[in-house]
Amino acid sequence: MDTIALGEFEQLVLMSIVRLDHEAYGATIRRDIETRTARRLSISAVYTTLDRLEQKGLVRSWVGEPTAERGGRRRKHFAIEAAGARALKTAYRDYMAMATGLERRLKALQ
Amino acid sequence: MIDMIDGFLLALARRALPSADREWMAGDLEEDFQRLVHTEGRWRARGWLIGESLRNFSRRTSNRPRSFKFKVKSMSWIDLKLGLRMLVKYPGLTLVGGTAMAFAIFIGVVAFTMFSVITSPTLPIKDADRVVRIRSFDVAKNQAEPKQLHDFKVWRDSLRSVTDLGAWQDSSRNLIIPGVETSPIPVAEMSAIGFQVAEGEPHLGRVLTDADADPAAAPVVVIGYEIWKTRFGSDPSVIGKTVQLGDDHPVVVGVMREGFEFPVAHDAWVPLRLQLLDAAPRGGRATSVFGRLAPGQTVDTARAELNTIAKSLARDLPLTHQHLEPRVAGYADPDQMGTDDSAFLYAIYFFLTALLTLICGNVGLLIFARAASRESDLIVRTALGAGRSRIVWQLFTEALVLAVVSAGVGIVAGSFFLRTWGTYFLEVNFGRLPFWIDLAPSMRTIVFAAASTVFGAAVAGVIPAFKLTRGMSDRLKQTSAGSGGAQFGGVWTFIIVAQIAVTMMFPAIVYGERMLLTYTDEFEVGFAAEQFLTARIDKDAGSSPERFARSLNEVQTRLASTSGVTGVAYAQALPATWHPWQRIELQGADGAVTLDYGSLAPVSTSYFEALDSPAIDGRTFTAADVLPGSRVAIVDEAFVEIVLKGRNPIGQRVRFAPKVDGPAPPPEPWYDIVGLVKELGVSSPDQKERAAGLYLPAPPERLAKQYLMVHVPSGDAAAFGPRLREVVTSVDSTLKVSEILRADQVNDDQVWAMSLWVRITSVMSGLAIMLSLAGIYAVLSFTVTRRTREIGVRVALGGSRERVIGAILRRPLIRVAFGVLLGSSMVLAAMFGLRTTEFPGADAPLTVWHFVTLIVYVAVMVVVCSMACIVPAQRALRVEPTVALRAE
Repeated sequence: MDTIALGEFEQLVLMSIVRLDHEAYGATIRRDIETRTARRLSISAVYTTLDRLEQKGLVRSWVGEPTAERGGRRRKHFAIEAAGARALKTAYRDYMAMATGLERRLKALQ
Repeated sequence: MIDMIDGFLLALARRALPSADREWMAGDLEEDFQRLVHTEGRWRARGWLIGESLRNFSRRTSNRPRSFKFKVKSMSWIDLKLGLRMLVKYPGLTLVGGTAMAFAIFIGVVAFTMFSVITSPTLPIKDADRVVRIRSFDVAKNQAEPKQLHDFKVWRDSLRSVTDLGAWQDSSRNLIIPGVETSPIPVAEMSAIGFQVAEGEPHLGRVLTDADADPAAAPVVVIGYEIWKTRFGSDPSVIGKTVQLGDDHPVVVGVMREGFEFPVAHDAWVPLRLQLLDAAPRGGRATSVFGRLAPGQTVDTARAELNTIAKSLARDLPLTHQHLEPRVAGYADPDQMGTDDSAFLYAIYFFLTALLTLICGNVGLLIFARAASRESDLIVRTALGAGRSRIVWQLFTEALVLAVVSAGVGIVAGSFFLRTWGTYFLEVNFGRLPFWIDLAPSMRTIVFAAASTVFGAAVAGVIPAFKLTRGMSDRLKQTSAGSGGAQFGGVWTFIIVAQIAVTMMFPAIVYGERMLLTYTDEFEVGFAAEQFLTARIDKDAGSSPERFARSLNEVQTRLASTSGVTGVAYAQALPATWHPWQRIELQGADGAVTLDYGSLAPVSTSYFEALDSPAIDGRTFTAADVLPGSRVAIVDEAFVEIVLKGRNPIGQRVRFAPKVDGPAPPPEPWYDIVGLVKELGVSSPDQKERAAGLYLPAPPERLAKQYLMVHVPSGDAAAFGPRLREVVTSVDSTLKVSEILRADQVNDDQVWAMSLWVRITSVMSGLAIMLSLAGIYAVLSFTVTRRTREIGVRVALGGSRERVIGAILRRPLIRVAFGVLLGSSMVLAAMFGLRTTEFPGADAPLTVWHFVTLIVYVAVMVVVCSMACIVPAQRALRVEPTVALRAE
């Protein structure tokens, strides 16, 4: 079965979903990526990517219960699908294969 | 907790989200916002929310067709440059419109800053949102219960949601340093934890510790930076010195950092002694409680826990605690606003918006005239494919450029005003300000000014743009470039008429204010007030009533024997200030009892001698008049005129009437009127009616407030101030002297505030006149330009120039006439309306002179408004038919 190629931000979102497990929804995914990568993201950027991943069949979503903390609004949870896991593993493998041995040279570039 | 501003920002943020996933995305935003409020503070969270909204909005628009985005972005820069060019090309409009807009933003910035620092203040300390205060409230009496020492101890021992709980008591004490003028300073008896909660770092020495609160510990004091500078001459060796603070002699152990005034506006801190905490329920002195929300806790959870404790206290102490409800709120939050306060606040914001709209509407008129004169350009642009939105966008940008420049001027002027007069204005009205009141322009003020700028630009730019571009494509089909058909319509006619009417009102208001100011400034008190020095004397909370009474009498004796002083007296209220009205019963010679009102003036027995005002009839007070069983009174001439209708007062009897509601108490004994004096300032300049003065004798300590009056007939009475202070403090170190003023200066604060208003309304009048004239000028100028060809044809065909001018000036002059008519009707209505108000002298009869003044004023306004027609009319007269026709 062919694996789907992932963009850089798609990889970050998928990795965050894997890490957060049952706690993966828009706000937590955004916070996770912002904390780890020190990037500033808009919530709509995260959802645009999540929607795209869902359309590609890489993640699935379901709607939770409303909470007071969120002004009575519901959460949309996300979990990785088998195809998503395959794509992420492939991307990770490719990345590592390309990065291995470059550490010293990258440092020298600075 | 989400307040009104948060709710508004969240609603805006939701609007910026794509509709498909809006529910979850909005939930995520709110969750993140709440989290940031707790971790970073409310204002940072709001900043983040605004940034987030902009990012989301930008994402939404960037998903639209690329060409649209390109068009808007690239053309905006051209619009901006065009806007800047317009500022230079039309300097008159820039000056008039810019000044008016700057003034509107200036007023907005000043009012918004003043109200926002009071209604939603921010503590200048870290994690300010987590510092809270706790107050007991008696729900049965609907009032706060300040005696909460007992409850503080309970809360301190059991409360988990609020940590670092501390308490403080307010007192003011004389700081006595040999060789330095003595005056009372605000002292806080405070738990040592207060320094930690408010980040109190000492400049020198140390802050208070828990050990200082031990009953056996030596008395210590920490002084404020300002006191250290002014009273101790910045002495670096002050630590370890003993000072006198009222009756106490504490050792100075620390000097606080500059600006530290926690808990409110305090200059010195002494420990809150532990033995005070053994107070009975609802006993002891008034105490305030503060603390910090524990990690993870909110005001709501603290409230819930406090309610649980309150229920338990109510069970154990039903007599005192049955109706007590503890309330927790942000430390600097104002007390809960009533409906009236909120209505007042909304009225202020409505007024500011209305002022901005009115002024920008007028600027819009000028921009319309400017744009109409460039109508041919706009038609060409339309022909080249520019849509209506493009033209509207362009005119909005031009107005925005003008508004931004004006806003800059308005903000700078507003900041200068706030720094120079704002604090003083607030202190005149509210006393010394709490340390969190800072009138420097904050981020909130800038956001407000920015929003006002955009709103103002929208009013001034978008409305004219829509009007101008209506039917533009039809005009494109019907006419050639250079002879467009834009017309001034009903909206502008209405604006001009309303503007002239308002312009008529302003000078009339200034005139009224000046009259009131002069009346207040020159208020006649009936004695040589400039020869009297007055001061307020207060009792220290720790001093006994007997000691206070002895000290007041001793002060009077000592001052009376001081050289240069010819009289000393005490009064409950100073002359020319407000005296309370009382319902009185009067018994005439025939025994009949009548009801009336009198202004009560309790004074010491030496009052009339000190004021050098002997009795006109009967006698003045003697020392025997304050002995038990003696009930005598003295009235003034106004009392005889108003209450007694000219009858002889001596021998008449008077007493206070029972209250109207509730069961009638047994009637109190009568006072015999024993003397008549002239009017000596029982009325005050802010009272509408003349007050009927009723003087009652009282020993100084029995007066509700003690105002000392010292007669110093030679030299400047104000120069006696230091000596007065010295005598009072040498008699009793716990007597607090404040408000030392000459008797003719007691209303100076009021005069200052009124003259500030006169200045502001004078500037408003000037602006209103300027805008009116500019508006009329713009309309006429526009008309002449539009009808140049017509004028040329008419003159060429032999039409007389007078008739041509008449035809052009007819409509503007009709507008001026309507405006002046409406304005003078409003002034007339105000003249009659004023008679029903509480302003002093408002019920004076209207004379022929008033109406003559009004007619002259109307004539002057007609002439002034017509002056705006002169230049365009001259231009019309200069039109040469040949030139006009050739130009076409």
